Amino acid sequence: MKPKILSFFIGVVVFLFSNAAVFAQEAAEQIAESTGAVHHALPETFTVIPFIVLLLLIATGPLFFHHFWEHHYPKIAMFLGLTVVIYYLAVMHDTHSLLHTLAEYLSFIALLSSLFVASGGILIKIDKKSTPMLNVIILLIGSVIANIIGTTGASMLLIRPFIKINRNRIKPYHIIFFIFLISNIGGALTPIGDPPLFLGFLRGVDFFWFIEHIWYMWLPTVLFLLVVFFIIDSRNKGEETGEEDFTGKIEFKGLKNIGYLLIILISVFLDPAVMSWVPSLSPLPFGIREIIMFAVVYISYKTADHEILKANEFDFEPIKEVAYLFIGIFATMIPALQLIAHEANVLGNQLDAGIFYWSTGLLSGFLDNAPTYLNFLSAAMGKFGLDINIAEQVKDFALNHPLYLQAVSVGAVYFGAMSYIGNGPNFMVKSITERAGVKMPSFFAYMIKYSIPILIPTFFIIWLIFYYGAG
Amino acid sequence: MKTLNEVLNSGLHGLYYGNRLLLPFRADILKAIIENDIIMDFSSNSSNAEYNIYDDFTEIYFYDYKDISEDVTEFETIKLVLVEFGEDIFDFKNHRKIALHVKEHHKLEIEELNDDILLIE
Repeated sequence: MKPKILSFFIGVVVFLFSNAAVFAQEAAEQIAESTGAVHHALPETFTVIPFIVLLLLIATGPLFFHHFWEHHYPKIAMFLGLTVVIYYLAVMHDTHSLLHTLAEYLSFIALLSSLFVASGGILIKIDKKSTPMLNVIILLIGSVIANIIGTTGASMLLIRPFIKINRNRIKPYHIIFFIFLISNIGGALTPIGDPPLFLGFLRGVDFFWFIEHIWYMWLPTVLFLLVVFFIIDSRNKGEETGEEDFTGKIEFKGLKNIGYLLIILISVFLDPAVMSWVPSLSPLPFGIREIIMFAVVYISYKTADHEILKANEFDFEPIKEVAYLFIGIFATMIPALQLIAHEANVLGNQLDAGIFYWSTGLLSGFLDNAPTYLNFLSAAMGKFGLDINIAEQVKDFALNHPLYLQAVSVGAVYFGAMSYIGNGPNFMVKSITERAGVKMPSFFAYMIKYSIPILIPTFFIIWLIFYYGAG
Repeated sequence: MKTLNEVLNSGLHGLYYGNRLLLPFRADILKAIIENDIIMDFSSNSSNAEYNIYDDFTEIYFYDYKDISEDVTEFETIKLVLVEFGEDIFDFKNHRKIALHVKEHHKLEIEELNDDILLIE
């Protein structure tokens, strides 16, 4: 069974990228003329191989050669990333794409690591008996909070209390629904919620555009998943907990870290593209925002209450894992994203909102959703002759073609829940859960048992209601 | 031979050398968590871990780790679910959860887990 699944997966990925490349190469000149966004020749098709290899290793490493992978993944990710970097430097002479990707990576890891460390210094203790309704309430609150402190912050803050409450009846589905809702779908309402929306905001989309245009899709999706969770959770009777006394108390420790979270949230806006008075540090691949975020990482760790860190079993390993893997992912996906973006641009006129929704979504499930979002946003704008690099045109696009921006935004955020590598917090939640002694499903089992049977029908219904035949 | 309670009350520590852990009491190990590894197979066929009970101590080998002090960081612990040797293994009340903190000079600090630390049996 496993080799079949593996070969199917390889086939799908190879097909996806080889087709994208063929279409893209045929149309390279046409696109360069029409979009103005492309300044370099297209990479060769074979340059997507390191990316495919890395994805396959991330998927199969923990499954088939766990300890080799655990000890060598940083070197493997760096090596594969380096092959693409060398190709871009030596063959394509394209430093622009590399610097741009480095800047995006630094922004990504600055936000993720600062939220991770700051929320690691906060301890929430909920001494209540686990019930399906209490779990639903926590998942709902987490989905809302994800829009205020990001999906990473909300995940780090709530995963431990969520496991503790359910300690007598915990099953993998508890954690999977946590990943679905709090680590991904919940954060679709604000630019702080999920990195792709933040990139859209930096390009000119109004801060409140997302909540205004996505809430009526967010609410039924969240409620539907909560109902599914409630039904599954109601059938789980767990162990008898008759001997345990619950005080019903909710404790909150580490208030000063709320201050650090606020600093991170405010610093999100400190971008020359948003506030003109903020100095740009160009050509450096980072800005004031990233410096503040990395400073928060250092200060919040150094000043943290050791008792809270101990209770949270704080460890840099989960963020280290994300940092190394995503160095490799960001570097190796440069050619893949360029090829996909070109194809999307070529076919722009034939693509409706539904196709943008599915294509942004399915790729976001396995690539980082932030650059995927930008590429498809660029392609969707190209369909109407608009340029993503001009803020006024982005605003115009958001105003006059909300269906397309909505499709790309929802696709990027929602589908991040499709796999462990779809979004940064997914991996962190998995790691924390395993360290608590709960065996989590493998990469493939996560998709086969949970995301495909639960999320794909949900996303299909969304497509049917909102995008079928529209645009 | 000391009991687990005596070890905990007197603050006695265990020892580690590379991937070998020595605990100053006798116990059957039911579950061990080290990093992301959840180990429940301690059979002779296991390539992950093995434990042996001697007259005065219990020894555990984590074969996948060369030196646990390199893998288990400051706020991390090795977590064990165990039953003191001689007690009824089938009575859940006898299942104890302990954390091992890796300290300098080969010392293993032994602590009974409180409610703050997550360990699902």
